[in-house]
Amino acid sequence: MISRRERVLNLAVLVFMSLVVLVPVSLLVLASLSPTPNGRPAFGDLRWDNFVVAWQQSDFGSHLLVSLTVSLAVVGITLVITPLAAYGLAVLKAPGHKWVFLVFLAGIMIPLEGIIVPLYFTMRATPFSSTVVALIIAHSGLSVSFGVFWMRAAFRSVPGGILESAMIDGAGPLRILRSIMLPLSAPALITLGLLTFMWTWNDYFLAFVLVNNPDQLPVTVALGSFSNKYTTQYNLMSAAAILVALPIVVLYVVFQRRFIEGVLAGAVKG
Amino acid sequence: MLAWLFLLPALAFYSFVVIGPTAQSVWFSLFRWNGVGPATWVGFGNYADFATDPLIGEALAHTGVMVVFFSVLPITLGLISAALLSRTRSRSTGVFRSIIFLPQVLTSVVIVVIWRQLFSLDGAVNSALRAVGLGDLAQPWLGSFTLTLPVLALAGTWTTMGLCMLLFVSGAGNIPTELYEAARIDGAGAVREFFSVTLPGLVPQLAVALTLTLIGALRVFDLVWLTTRGGPGTSSITPAVLLYSKAFTQQDVGGAAAIGVTLAVLSLLVSIVVVRITDRAAS
Repeated sequence: MISRRERVLNLAVLVFMSLVVLVPVSLLVLASLSPTPNGRPAFGDLRWDNFVVAWQQSDFGSHLLVSLTVSLAVVGITLVITPLAAYGLAVLKAPGHKWVFLVFLAGIMIPLEGIIVPLYFTMRATPFSSTVVALIIAHSGLSVSFGVFWMRAAFRSVPGGILESAMIDGAGPLRILRSIMLPLSAPALITLGLLTFMWTWNDYFLAFVLVNNPDQLPVTVALGSFSNKYTTQYNLMSAAAILVALPIVVLYVVFQRRFIEGVLAGAVKG
Repeated sequence: MLAWLFLLPALAFYSFVVIGPTAQSVWFSLFRWNGVGPATWVGFGNYADFATDPLIGEALAHTGVMVVFFSVLPITLGLISAALLSRTRSRSTGVFRSIIFLPQVLTSVVIVVIWRQLFSLDGAVNSALRAVGLGDLAQPWLGSFTLTLPVLALAGTWTTMGLCMLLFVSGAGNIPTELYEAARIDGAGAVREFFSVTLPGLVPQLAVALTLTLIGALRVFDLVWLTTRGGPGTSSITPAVLLYSKAFTQQDVGGAAAIGVTLAVLSLLVSIVVVRITDRAAS
């Protein structure tokens, strides 16, 4: 059925789109290994120690620790609070659950710009102003909408028969959640964890506004100021950028199916 | 009532971070306030100021340019690829899919570094132009009053293109094969097949892509802030950059909140309008 010409055309489209992505990314990698500050590729002279220099000059280690702390804490909090809420809505059908779900869902449509100004003043008035704690709380609050939406959909797809028989056996709500709903929704939980980790790690704006303390900055904001300080040293800037991107890219390579399907399915939320 | 206990932790975080500040944004936007002293009630004064502030108009006009690069171009490219791929119904599986999606997982700061380098004075774009004898066109792209905005916006195309393409290709994969067979029996060529089968079948994915990319275009901050801060002059300023500088450098908290509220309302309108239009198209 499929003609040879169409097969070639097919491949051409895929190769073209891949090149559009790969060429700029390869230039970044080559620049990070370049011996000259303008980042010109030099295949014969690959400077791996650019990464060491960039690491040291940007104080990468301490920012990495901040990013890891914030991202892992937000994933942890999200994976506790959103399945609980989704369970209360989808399975226990808390009074007014339809209405509450709409309130949660509305958060997906409110852009960060709509809340950032008061959020800054609210956080500033707390004892953890301008620290990782403020960042963790803000990210966790922002992850609620998507998390509840995502876990509710997962719980609703659990066959009702399993639930009923568990209730007949006299299992309490917490027990049902722990030994039936969560194990059956493990794939959804893993995807939610990965997406939350990526979104938190990749955030720039929220951390940029909420955190002023230089040693509490995540890697993204640190890279932003590093790249402004070393505007003429593209090789070091590129090396620092790769250090920032690497953890997510590694996760992406390992879990690509979950990332792509999660984002595409999550996109449909709008 | 026990069920409500399960909702409490999520509601606590959500109220503190989202619901509270949303309401406060509206409230703040009705005052003139420098962030420390007493606030003066101005009603809708901050919104009325939009009409006289030339920067707001300029920022919104720039959003129009962003829409072209964040929304129109990626969706068009995505549709073309889906059309070319759907005839053979091979999904862009495996390594291609992963590569094409890659920009979606890169943080904006990294994309900014890539872009700065591509378009720097002796960056890859200028080198390529010189290499093919078009050296006269080589220039400081991010220092130009006319070109900075489109060059930055192109980064948006690069980021969202893959997402749109994969959305449409996977959507086209769900269109029943019989529809294509029927169209072919009717003698439809590739173009007619696209307009009569593929495009109508992709309405839900189009709605998603439109909503996501339009809201993305409305919100551009990192890309501009980290490269030009809205410059040269104000030639690449966006509403979000304006919001930031009003709130945190010009001490005009009310005006910043008014921009925030306006962006939120516009995002909501985009979602509602897109859903309305696509609902009508689907029925």
